[in-house]
Amino acid sequence: MAGSYTEWVRTRTEDELLALLAARPDLGTPAPSTLRSLAARAASRTSLDRALGHLDAGTLQVLEALLALSHDGDPVDADRVAAALGAPEAGAAVGRVLDTARTAALVWDEGQGVRPAPGLDEVLGPYPAGLGPARDAAVPTASPDDLPPGARPILDALAWGPPVGVVPPPGTAPRQAVDELVEAGLLVRSDARHVLLPRDVGLALRGGRTHRAPDLAPPRPTGREVPRAGADAESAVAALETVRQVARLITAWDDGPPSVLRAGGLGVRDLRRTAALLETEEATAAFVVELAASAGLVSDDGEAPASYVPTTKADVWEETDDAGRWAWLAAAWRTSRRTPWQVGSRDEKGALRAPLSPELHRPWVPRLRAQVLDVLAAQPGTALDADDVLAVLRWHSPRTVPPEAALAGLLREASLLGVTGAGALSSPGHALAASSPSTEPVAAPDADLARALRAVLPAEVDEVLLQGDLTGIVPGRPSPALARLLDQAADVESRGAATTVRFSTTSVTRALDHGRSGAELLAELSARSPVPVPQALEYLVKDTARRHEAVRVGSATSYVRSADPTALAGLVEDPRLAGLGLVRLAPTVLAAAVPAAELHDVLRDRGLLSGLEGPDGRPLGPVRRTVRLERAAWSRRPAAAVRDTTAEARTALVARLRGTAPSADAAPDGGTPARVSASPGEVPSSTGAAVGQGANQPGDALALLHDALREGRTVLIEMVGGSGTLVRRELKPMRLDGGRLRALDPQREAELTIAVHRIASVEPLD
Amino acid sequence: MPDGPLIVQSDKSILLEVEHPQSGDARRAIAPFAELERAPEHVHTYRLTNLGLWNARAAGHDAEQVVDTLMAYSRYPVPHALLIDVAETMGRYGRLTLAAHPTHGLVLESTDAAVLAEVLKSKRTKGLVGDRIDDTTVAVHPSERGNLKQALVKLGWPAEDLAGYVDGEKHPITLSPTTKPVHPGEEASDWEPRPYQAQAVDGFWHGGSGVVVLPCGAGKTIVGAGAMAKSGTTTLILVTNTVSARQWRDELIRRTSLTEDEIGEYSGARKEIKPVTIATYQVLTTRRKGVYTHLELLDARDWGLVVYDEVHLLPAPIFRMTADLQARRRLGLTATLVREDGREDEVFSLIGPKRYDAPWKDIEAQGYIAPADCVEVRLTLPEHERMVYATAEPEDKYRLAACAPGKNRVVERLVAQHPDDQVLVIGQYIDQLTELAEHLDAPLITGATTVRERQKLFGAFRSGEISRLVVSKVANFSIDLPEASVAIQVSGSFGSRQEEAQRLGRVMRPKQDGRTAHFYAVVARDTVDQDFAAHRQRFLAEQGYAYRIVDAEELDGAK
Repeated sequence: MAGSYTEWVRTRTEDELLALLAARPDLGTPAPSTLRSLAARAASRTSLDRALGHLDAGTLQVLEALLALSHDGDPVDADRVAAALGAPEAGAAVGRVLDTARTAALVWDEGQGVRPAPGLDEVLGPYPAGLGPARDAAVPTASPDDLPPGARPILDALAWGPPVGVVPPPGTAPRQAVDELVEAGLLVRSDARHVLLPRDVGLALRGGRTHRAPDLAPPRPTGREVPRAGADAESAVAALETVRQVARLITAWDDGPPSVLRAGGLGVRDLRRTAALLETEEATAAFVVELAASAGLVSDDGEAPASYVPTTKADVWEETDDAGRWAWLAAAWRTSRRTPWQVGSRDEKGALRAPLSPELHRPWVPRLRAQVLDVLAAQPGTALDADDVLAVLRWHSPRTVPPEAALAGLLREASLLGVTGAGALSSPGHALAASSPSTEPVAAPDADLARALRAVLPAEVDEVLLQGDLTGIVPGRPSPALARLLDQAADVESRGAATTVRFSTTSVTRALDHGRSGAELLAELSARSPVPVPQALEYLVKDTARRHEAVRVGSATSYVRSADPTALAGLVEDPRLAGLGLVRLAPTVLAAAVPAAELHDVLRDRGLLSGLEGPDGRPLGPVRRTVRLERAAWSRRPAAAVRDTTAEARTALVARLRGTAPSADAAPDGGTPARVSASPGEVPSSTGAAVGQGANQPGDALALLHDALREGRTVLIEMVGGSGTLVRRELKPMRLDGGRLRALDPQREAELTIAVHRIASVEPLD
Repeated sequence: MPDGPLIVQSDKSILLEVEHPQSGDARRAIAPFAELERAPEHVHTYRLTNLGLWNARAAGHDAEQVVDTLMAYSRYPVPHALLIDVAETMGRYGRLTLAAHPTHGLVLESTDAAVLAEVLKSKRTKGLVGDRIDDTTVAVHPSERGNLKQALVKLGWPAEDLAGYVDGEKHPITLSPTTKPVHPGEEASDWEPRPYQAQAVDGFWHGGSGVVVLPCGAGKTIVGAGAMAKSGTTTLILVTNTVSARQWRDELIRRTSLTEDEIGEYSGARKEIKPVTIATYQVLTTRRKGVYTHLELLDARDWGLVVYDEVHLLPAPIFRMTADLQARRRLGLTATLVREDGREDEVFSLIGPKRYDAPWKDIEAQGYIAPADCVEVRLTLPEHERMVYATAEPEDKYRLAACAPGKNRVVERLVAQHPDDQVLVIGQYIDQLTELAEHLDAPLITGATTVRERQKLFGAFRSGEISRLVVSKVANFSIDLPEASVAIQVSGSFGSRQEEAQRLGRVMRPKQDGRTAHFYAVVARDTVDQDFAAHRQRFLAEQGYAYRIVDAEELDGAK
């Protein structure tokens, strides 16, 4: 066996090392001190696990096949792997997969064929592709064809794995068959109760194949075909509805801000109230609330006690048109790390998860969302449900399958937001999937996204058909002006492609409350109706207006009253009292705009004797107007350090590693480890400076131990002795499991067991 | 089709643009499965309901047809979820069937073992079914046939009743081509059922049991007679009151081969059981010591057909009795399936699915019912009455407003405007009606008037001897006054929508000279009377009868 994995890593070029660190960012943090420890780390279980977690089913299959074929780490070429997968024609594709794997140092090569990285066998399990252990080819085996009857079914049962069988009780026919098979060398007794099908036999039984069928391309679920127009229309309806709900939320929270729970988040009662306000169920309300917060439109005001209030951004948002508002929300959703679908479920402590609570923060959400969008975008015009998407994602990363609830939640959000329509990605959804997510909080609508939505919105209609039964129909999407009018003057009965509204005394009263007079309202309605205003509606408006005007309510800060009208004569007209804002309500009552105490004083000064009224003489409390906050959206914490490995950091690291590597390579004995001064057999004196260069990362120490175990080399181990002092021993590791290292001390010819946590550092010796 | 006449909303309402050139086709296409909710001037609203979709299934339409129709006529893409829902809902009907098994008798069968298991697990079906015969069949106690159907509708798995009917006692009945005079002065004339009546009879007979929906004045009695002729068996007819019972009898004698001796009346006054028996709901629901005393009527003969007049008024006990009559053919007649108590599903499960339906406006357009002009007269109360009203207890407010003295003058004026018409004045409160009768010098019919007296007065009104009649709510239903062309409603029972429809129905029989009928509702402005009136009018406004509003003061000016 020429060369070693470590050697291979150490001879990588700068570009190859950069690519490796880019493919497996965890190798760079914390920065390894030497290329050897980088190699050890790359072959360590933790890092391999992490790397395999992101691999798709096809790559895993190729790696399994490679592992199964590569007897004792022998090189295998791509065509053989392809043939073993049952896809001999896919040699080129397998080659590409192997190239990628080589970039990530999951396989390595030397001249012809590739070999699996050491440690891969451990991570992929004892029986890769369901094949039993390999054994020396020298063992003679009988041909599986001349077998006693009853033996063949046993082999067939074990052929496709798992290759472990339970030994039948003695004296039975199957037992006899098993014994004969063991005799013939086709089965191996692993212990008293089990037999194993050796790898070569297994492969022979499978006809040289490692897998029943190649799984090199992602599955394409059939789904349900949805015409683009249908998807777009439904997406437009959903998008408008969500925009409307967010707008409603902002208005409502402006008027009555809900308070923030002590642990953060929105209380159950406030959520229920919000749901009622939005005319929807609580799950949707939670989504709308979270969406508004992600978009930075509402936020915690930071006061004590704290409440949720609209932000200054909401002002900007409210000034944009429907498409722009949607684009803003969609962009915010794209990068949101929130999991609103968990609202209403209980956490480990049994507490209800509340919307807006910090509990709902999950850093993986944007990545999963992007994956879901990619899956949907790959199959345009097809409605995929959560199971379909899961099947595809399971192929993409079989070792880290996303939670089903999250997937269902994300798909539901996508449909609420109109990213999907009828279950398929809509045109605006495609635009969103294609846009590059920004890490900056959204502060303005994305013009491209807005354009995409605008293209699918139904044409604006500026007409309402008024009917004798006091209903009105807008046969399309109402224009903003019409929507405002109908919002005030009528109640919506049905929304969708068309809008049905009903006029009632209550709704007309609302319009009158907004300052329209009855005549103005009728004029506006008739201007917007292609048919004359029905008489019934005219009567409704006129009668309501008449009653509306009959009783009036206004606000005054204080009043002056007197049983004698003459006492009040001339007060209103007096220019000196203009500052009081006096209004004559009746011959005997004047209203004033200043507090009673001030009014009282001014009137005194003018020579009018007056008495103060009221239980405490205090004016009515002023109407509280909540102040909008200048506040960013969710404070975006920097992502975890591992993901933050920027290209520059990697370049610097590679430069540093290679800066030390050449000097090591130049050493006379070739492949001197980091500790240059160390020569075999001699225990160098430990100095503080030297320790810093060693494998003092716990992960690296283990990786180096594994490395040494595999290659049967001796290492220098620094461990904490019984008295708490550091002891250095030269040891040959024998076995590492269960947190214990069994090792041989060649100098003392003794075996010893060390708890791994006592090992301070490991240095290779060669 | 991008420019169709329909807009399908995701809340299952369907808007139909009336002026659209294809609106006629679209209306016919969706009528079998969508319920007309409102039919005002420009845009009609239909609604997809479970019952409506099941009715359509019962009539032989399948989900694919419904979906195709919606897509073909819709202006915008139809919401996907709705299409799926339609298919799912319609797929539920007929999954369970009630059938007659050659050895096990009445059984409930299912094509889907899971569905059967689901419904059998429910508490609602406990005790209604017998032994499980196999995976897809379970025995049903014949006496629980109705209750089981009711329970299954509630569970959302309506059963199709294919168990058939008893033949009943034969009794030949035919429609006579020439009318037989019943009242003195009446002349024999040739007649035949109108096309829609014949269609209704066929639709019903084909379906086995079910409900025929026809507007007031469209001749539901003739549909009943037609069904009896088809059946040719003894028949039990259930009607709302005695006057209505007599009208049924007259109409049957006039238009069928039945003679007076073959028709019996079973009411408070008389208890006759004949091959054709007409009974009132009231007598059937009479209880003495907690026992329905007249239940034996239902088994008195081997009835081959049971006819329910005014199905939307069926009292609850009749539903329970009907549950036991599932082996007999049942025909329901009504002007509207809307029930103020919301028991439409019991009508569906116990009497049967809707078998025929024709919108009012269509029949009016064909000239079979008179066009009507509906006017609401708003009366502004004088100052002192408003003060009394404002300070009255809430429970007295409606009576105060409805009986406003000012209404008398309005009625007088309205009557004066129609000197040549037959005018009915209808109201709720006897005091008010008595006063009005004196004012107008017109006879008064209330619940206290004897049946004989009523018959006499109605006869005189019909023949034109008297042209003014003041009636209480006894005249709401089934009183045939063909020549009444003006109705003035001074008060009603709060906000009942179907009462308003019935009252309008009084004046909607076609007039010999093709005159327009007038319906006036006198309402006190700014009171609960006005609110209730608005609620009552909703049904008619939705049926396309736009109310005109006139101020009481303007009546003077018009004069």
